[in-house]
Amino acid sequence: MLNRRQFTLASGTALAGLILTSSGRSFAQDEKVARLRLPIDPEGLYNVQSISLVVSDVLGNYLLESLVYLDEKGQAQPWLAQSWEPSADGKVITFKLKNGKTFHDGTPFNAAAVKFHFDTVLNPNSASPSKAMISALEHVETPDDMTVVFSFSKPFAPFLNLLGLSYFGFNSPTAVKAAGSAYARHPVGTGPFMFSNWVLGTSIELVRYPDFKQYRPDAKNQGPAYLDRVILTVLAEEGVVASALQTGELQAAQLTADAVQPLQGDSQYHIINDQNAKNLMFIEFDYKKPPFDDKAFRQAISYAIDRQAVLAAAFGGNGKIALGPLSRGIPGYDDSVAQKYGTPFDAEKAKALLDAAGWKENGGLRAKGNMAAKFTVRSYADSTTERALAVIQANLADIGIQVDVSTADWGTFYPGLLTPAWDMDLNRWTWPDPNVMSQLFRSPGHRQLLPANAAIDGALDASDTALDPAKRMQFVSDAQKAILEDRLILPLLTDWPITVVRNELQGYRLDFLGRLYTSDLQIAG
Amino acid sequence: MMQYVVRRLLLLIPVIITILLITFLMKALIPTDAVTAMYRGQLSEKDAAQAIATLRAKYHLDLPWYQQFFFYVGDLLHGNFGESIRLRRPVIDEIGYRYVNTILLTGLALAIALIFGLTTGILAAARRNTWLDVTATTIGLFGISMPAFFFGLLLILVFSVWLRLLPVVPHGPIAILLPAFALGAIEAAPLSQVARSSMIDVLRRDYIQAARARGQSEMALIFRHALPNALIVVLTVVGLQIGNLLGGAFIVETIFSWHGIGELAVNAIQWRDFALTQAIILISAATYLVINLVADIVYAWLDPRVELLS
Repeated sequence: MLNRRQFTLASGTALAGLILTSSGRSFAQDEKVARLRLPIDPEGLYNVQSISLVVSDVLGNYLLESLVYLDEKGQAQPWLAQSWEPSADGKVITFKLKNGKTFHDGTPFNAAAVKFHFDTVLNPNSASPSKAMISALEHVETPDDMTVVFSFSKPFAPFLNLLGLSYFGFNSPTAVKAAGSAYARHPVGTGPFMFSNWVLGTSIELVRYPDFKQYRPDAKNQGPAYLDRVILTVLAEEGVVASALQTGELQAAQLTADAVQPLQGDSQYHIINDQNAKNLMFIEFDYKKPPFDDKAFRQAISYAIDRQAVLAAAFGGNGKIALGPLSRGIPGYDDSVAQKYGTPFDAEKAKALLDAAGWKENGGLRAKGNMAAKFTVRSYADSTTERALAVIQANLADIGIQVDVSTADWGTFYPGLLTPAWDMDLNRWTWPDPNVMSQLFRSPGHRQLLPANAAIDGALDASDTALDPAKRMQFVSDAQKAILEDRLILPLLTDWPITVVRNELQGYRLDFLGRLYTSDLQIAG
Repeated sequence: MMQYVVRRLLLLIPVIITILLITFLMKALIPTDAVTAMYRGQLSEKDAAQAIATLRAKYHLDLPWYQQFFFYVGDLLHGNFGESIRLRRPVIDEIGYRYVNTILLTGLALAIALIFGLTTGILAAARRNTWLDVTATTIGLFGISMPAFFFGLLLILVFSVWLRLLPVVPHGPIAILLPAFALGAIEAAPLSQVARSSMIDVLRRDYIQAARARGQSEMALIFRHALPNALIVVLTVVGLQIGNLLGGAFIVETIFSWHGIGELAVNAIQWRDFALTQAIILISAATYLVINLVADIVYAWLDPRVELLS
């Protein structure tokens, strides 16, 4: 065994060695490098296997491209596709592809690559989470090298919008086949950056694809990316991220409103709100349980919530209050319907409606017959939901309704929704297409609680099968109106994700689906 | 000696089986699994039913917990820790390098804790009731009361943002310094207190008085005569503190993005990635038990009065 002196010497040498060998990675002087934050290490960079936010961001922003993108009005526009044409019965859509794209490994992008992706998603052995999003897709054919024919079991209108998501961006079939299960660690796409290196749990390095051709006319830079290299650094703790922004070790990071606050007003940063955000925070009810089966009661509660206060408490005001059942960022959001049929905050009106419905107040708590107005509202545990619930609880107390609030982590809360053990829940969904309403409100609804409603079900079914965009949007409006009229939802707000960008990083801009125009990014100086 | 070690190692088996059983029971009580967690907020469960069912069957999640337990133990006996559902990779690939990172971090933290704890403790005892003692004890109190996550952020603010000595974003081996210091400094505080009181106790003993009467220098008194005896008590505390260090690593690793098993455990639990969680629990428990065994052996080696096979 070591004696004391030997031990001291050995540990001292080890420590000194540790410090001396720590040479930071250095890059050539004129190399343009941007460093951005990842909140967690992606589980694997393969869109067939994962639909998590961080995976979609890395793939969608840098590595992969899709058939279509959505323009600032939310209309699908050709990207890797040249054009498309639905058949008369709407069950077949034929895409023509643009020429001249190649994957980072030299494989040509063609109909076979498109078919390969969708075939892999549809293959039950892949257990792909994106399969359920396109459940109506039956098969994909390639009559020639640049033509892809999608066949559906029924007309499937959301398809075009969904094609713009990074879940349906294309991987090199050669690389996928060659790498097998290791592919998720070495993704190969057609995007402006190529995968270079991944230090597990630490960082992902991407380098410019020198032969990149920009097929999106809305990007400012129509050539290869300006940056030579992008380093995506995994940093979980927001306090640490803020420090890294201060020292310049990160040039951009998405943060919550709380973490942004100390950086706000500092001239070395600019702050970018994604005002096209497609999330909606809302309250839904147990529609089978009295008094929530009564539209008049749901209506009364809907007037009681001060959405502006909820937005301020939960998101520091970063966002916009919602009166309609669809997020403003989703194509088809109809503001006139929201304004006309929505329930803006009006506590007096809420009280009057409760009075009229027979809920008598007694010592601050209302009751009807022998039912006291005491309920439970649950949500997933998060600082935003907890603060929102505090406001909601106070608002409801003001009109004589007492609610107990409780939160659990998502894994406990979400499956619990299917076993109705409570009266109301506060929830938040993000989805880019208006068919989110079908998920939530097409009877029997995602919680299996909704009675059939011909107006709502009819409008939703029509909107999901109408391939003509203008006609579809009319059905989407009808659905919003019918859902609001039946008071199936208490919409609260859409929050805007916040990104803090150091001024030296220029050109940080998001498209309608929140994809970053990474080839436009530049480092000043 | 050998017999003792073997016996202690064999005792690990029932302990580990008990830990496994408890975690499987806990899993049975949690209302969701990794597959549901993968679909978080994206789609309603009914539309993804087929994909969910395929994945569940693949990982035996559709079976009752005791059947899953037998599958798991069977795999384990073949040296197979299973596959992470979230990462779609063998658990052992993900844990291997992270385990090394955690051991490096806790090892360095322990060294820092010992250096600071012993130095301040000994100094405080030798210069009892002077300003040195008061300062060391006060700092120690702060250390005991300081939560690791707050101390960690404070260190980043001072050393990275203000002084710009160390990077915030970890890269290169130097990245270990701040987390190791955050973890070690907090553990140094109780060590310092124990070292101080133990030294004071030893310094009062007759043999120290006798040595002093023989004209031994104060340095020789402290380091040659008192310290070895005071260290025996400190060692007991160190053995116990290693558990704290491993636990504290879970927090410190997350703050400093130090990619050890602690950080992975936090994620694995959120993902309900059971194979991953289970393996981390097993490895942490085994590490803790082995370290305690080592502490016991060293204890006997330092103090001949302690019999291992009593």
